[in-house]
Amino acid sequence: MVDRSRFNWLRASAIYSSALILLAGTQALAAESAGQQDKALERDKVCTVCHNESWRTPVLSIYQTKHGVKADARTPDCQTCHGASEGHLKQGPGTKPDVVFKKGPFAVSDDKVRAGQCLTCHRGRARTHWDGGQHQNNQIACNDCHQVHAPADRVLVRRTQTQVCFTCHKDKRADSLKISTHPIQEGKVVCSDCHNPNGSPGPSQLKKNTVNETCYTCHAQRRGPFLFEHQPVVENCTYCHAPHGSNLSPMMISRSPFLCQSCHDGPHASDSPAGPNAAGNQRGLTGNPSANISGRGCLNCHSQIHGSNSPAGGYFQR
Amino acid sequence: MKVRALALAVQGVLVAMYAMPAHADDEQAAALKVPTNWVELGAIGVSRDSAKFGEYTGLNESGGYFLGDFSLRGGDAYGDGNGTRRWGLTGSDLGLTSRALGATIADQGRWNFGISYDGLRHNISDSYQTPYLGSMGGNSFVLPASFGTVPTAAPGTRSLTSAQLGAFHNVDVSSTRENTALTGGLILDRQWDIKLDFNHLDQSGAKLQGFGSALLGGAGTNEKVSILPMPTDYTTDTVNLALNWLGEKGHATGSYFGSFFRDNNNSVTFETFTNVRNIQTMSTPPSNDFHQLNLTGGYALSARTKLTGGLSYGRNTQNAAYAFDPGMMVTASPTSSLNGYVVTSHADLKLTDQTTKDLALSAGIKYDNRDNRTSSNIYNFNAISGSAGNIANYPNTPLSIEKTQVELAGDYRVDPKQKIRLALSHDQIDRQCNQYAVGGGTPAYAAGTNCVTATQTREDKLSATYRRKASDEVNFNIGYGFSSRRTSFDENARAAFIETGASLPGPAISGLNAGDYRGFHPFFEASRNQNMLKAGANWQATDKLSVDVGGRYTDDNYLSTFGVQKGTAWTLNLDTTYNYREKGTITVYVSQQERTRDVTDMQRSPFLAASAPSATAVGIPSGATWSNNLRDTDSTIGLNLKQGGLMGGKLDLAGDLTYSLGRSAYDTQLNYQTTTTGGLTCAAPSILSCGSLPDIKSEMIQFKLNGTYTLDKSAKIAVGYLYRNLRSDDFYYNGLQTGYTPTGVLPTNQTAPSYAVNMVAVSYIYSFR
Repeated sequence: MVDRSRFNWLRASAIYSSALILLAGTQALAAESAGQQDKALERDKVCTVCHNESWRTPVLSIYQTKHGVKADARTPDCQTCHGASEGHLKQGPGTKPDVVFKKGPFAVSDDKVRAGQCLTCHRGRARTHWDGGQHQNNQIACNDCHQVHAPADRVLVRRTQTQVCFTCHKDKRADSLKISTHPIQEGKVVCSDCHNPNGSPGPSQLKKNTVNETCYTCHAQRRGPFLFEHQPVVENCTYCHAPHGSNLSPMMISRSPFLCQSCHDGPHASDSPAGPNAAGNQRGLTGNPSANISGRGCLNCHSQIHGSNSPAGGYFQR
Repeated sequence: MKVRALALAVQGVLVAMYAMPAHADDEQAAALKVPTNWVELGAIGVSRDSAKFGEYTGLNESGGYFLGDFSLRGGDAYGDGNGTRRWGLTGSDLGLTSRALGATIADQGRWNFGISYDGLRHNISDSYQTPYLGSMGGNSFVLPASFGTVPTAAPGTRSLTSAQLGAFHNVDVSSTRENTALTGGLILDRQWDIKLDFNHLDQSGAKLQGFGSALLGGAGTNEKVSILPMPTDYTTDTVNLALNWLGEKGHATGSYFGSFFRDNNNSVTFETFTNVRNIQTMSTPPSNDFHQLNLTGGYALSARTKLTGGLSYGRNTQNAAYAFDPGMMVTASPTSSLNGYVVTSHADLKLTDQTTKDLALSAGIKYDNRDNRTSSNIYNFNAISGSAGNIANYPNTPLSIEKTQVELAGDYRVDPKQKIRLALSHDQIDRQCNQYAVGGGTPAYAAGTNCVTATQTREDKLSATYRRKASDEVNFNIGYGFSSRRTSFDENARAAFIETGASLPGPAISGLNAGDYRGFHPFFEASRNQNMLKAGANWQATDKLSVDVGGRYTDDNYLSTFGVQKGTAWTLNLDTTYNYREKGTITVYVSQQERTRDVTDMQRSPFLAASAPSATAVGIPSGATWSNNLRDTDSTIGLNLKQGGLMGGKLDLAGDLTYSLGRSAYDTQLNYQTTTTGGLTCAAPSILSCGSLPDIKSEMIQFKLNGTYTLDKSAKIAVGYLYRNLRSDDFYYNGLQTGYTPTGVLPTNQTAPSYAVNMVAVSYIYSFR
């Protein structure tokens, strides 16, 4: 039977820890002066005098975001990100600012320059592996995905995140429309649930160190260790599964018995050709359909293919 | 000087205007600075039942659903407030099983706290039928007393009596996840902060699985299969506690990650249906714990030279009591639980240098180890067939996998418009067992026997990419990669699955890995050469029109005598976007994907119907081979139209038309003259072990139209229409139909998902600040 007492303790610990964090934060709230807010807004006025509410893009909506909370001493002003842009200020709108993030009248600044502006503050943590990572190598900068001025950055909103990623990863968009997928289109599983687009030491920028560690985040029932392990299952879930979507349910790269025959040709049915008889006897076979190859195929009997914890489960049958 | 003076004068006037008392623009500015709260209430109507249509949305039954969403935000940090505190409440899909709720509160720069709930029901099947009694999600399945038994001999389950057929009833199968999450963060000072995430995942429901009855599991039945709902009555608690440090040149994060999985069933019992009815036992995924300590960080050796790295150490344990039928064991199980123990470790180190503007270099090394320290013992058990030849007497295989990867890469900017990247990497995977029990088996597992056949895999990769900005409007890139993977096989290894019976080893079939032929290597570890070519281009034809095209091709050639011989994959994507007017955009995209895989194997015995002649009688030559080819083709076409500002700026429309077609085709060929087989050909119904299977096909067309009409400053009406039509054909379901099942498999009458569903949603959106 399951010992739930330990988990009640864990749950309680987590709740109390969170409450303590809240309490500590509330106590600290009284500090910090409000005066810095006025100073920060004054600095911004150098820019917002022109880039105001009538500007062609909603520049001022940054004040709804964390970047716009001027009472936070860490908050940047316009020139922190866009550069001092003295030429632009002194010589007027015909001269480009120091850093141009979006294409408009001026050419966009180099990707490393743009990313560098963000990484000045956003160092470490999830960005630890940005340098030399796949997105940096492909000349992607932060603002190619993030919308800093928008009240809701669509790459940080689950319902809209995939649209941003699919802008470049079009094959994954097609995968997500196949008959067997994770709930990607529904926004219930999104790219950042598994991947860290800012770079990671894991394969394909996965958030965890390995493919399997990533999958076990949600599918901990596959973690085991099982008494009888199945080597490819232990080694890499994607040897058999296509996590972005497949025409073969459930998210398989191939169908039993053919998938199994890619690794096994013994000791019994897996060494035998499986042709149309694998389709059952509705297609003309007059003999008996085989439980080895039709329907669930090998998995009719070897149903514990992810591993078995039964001492009689060495064949993954129990 | 005059120009500068003029500019300053203009700026002065503008600044003075900005500082003036409130005027009409203030409201417009406030609209940008202050968040808009909104509440959406409405109804959804669905035209027909379909588990597949509502697979993840909860819209699986026809009828009406409540539509409720909201987003409320506030706090003195918004607008021109002097504070740093914010709060937010969100809710979505409140009337559906996919509902979500969340609440956050934060004092920016000091602390944050959040709590959320997220539901997700995976509707798996609404066509599944079973004669078994027992609730979906339960762990006990019995047959009605009146069901009797089913003959073991053909036609077996194809000849169920009318009384037995009458016992079949529909059971909707679904698996539900409900996740509750707590998040918290505390910023201690400018250098230190703490972050906590806690998730509690409750799972219920079931997924379908085969339950094979065993001759010796109770008595009297063997290898007869009932497809039953395997319960997913799980809880998983996950905690991540991180301490972050940020210095001038360095940063580091130390964290603890814990994951605690509990299966509330340690077995499922089910009643067998042939000869003698008795209750047998199927094991379930064991409860397990995982603890992991992580340390990651980076240090800037100079402004452009950085060193990053990480270390992880994890312990994965499992000691759930075994659940099994005693009759399945030939001799008593040597242990009553596994006491399983796996240590995972990870290390990575990467040095990047971007000292010169035009050259970026990186060098990295990664190490991952799954060190399975679980004991190995000999287990002497029966297969469900109950055949003496299938009695197993071999060790469990606690596999350890050690992977090392070294990577070198360089990016060189030839000029501002051209860039070249070269990358080299070397991977090595070592597989072994720390301990492998000796004894058992025929021949016995001798000391020193390897538990794994592919003991070491080495892979070298080279890739090169060229990027060019041909003009302000055109960018393109092209890349090539080559990979050489080589695996050392221990052809004398005795990996799990080896039987004690006569099938192993024979002169022609001396085997490894479950009795594979020598020369047959699993595809995922077989020696292989891979070539990859990719290219892409982006053309900003005009300010309003952009075209994006890209593709990738890979070609895998395996070096195995048998097994997978070749695999190819290519994908081609074309996107074009046209901003045909202000607030009007049309996007069209096409994706074409194709994948092939060819397998060859030596024919040991033909697969024949029970009434067919033997292999010898049909003249299949010794050493004959067969091959099987998979071709998977997927086409996706999309058209997306957005138009805002209609009807005097009150109406916004978005339309979407999507078509996808997936086809998977298997073709099997016998690589010998079938004319020598006594007249039996691929077309002979008693053979049918060669030829093409019917395509596995799914065709989906979807049309979505959403419109939002603004009634006034704070009210909108939203109307949405969705039509989705799915037609799928899959031979998988043929063998599940009453009258067409294999002799020993009970039908479930599941059908390939197909539907045509209309959905209408109408809602009222009230917004305020």
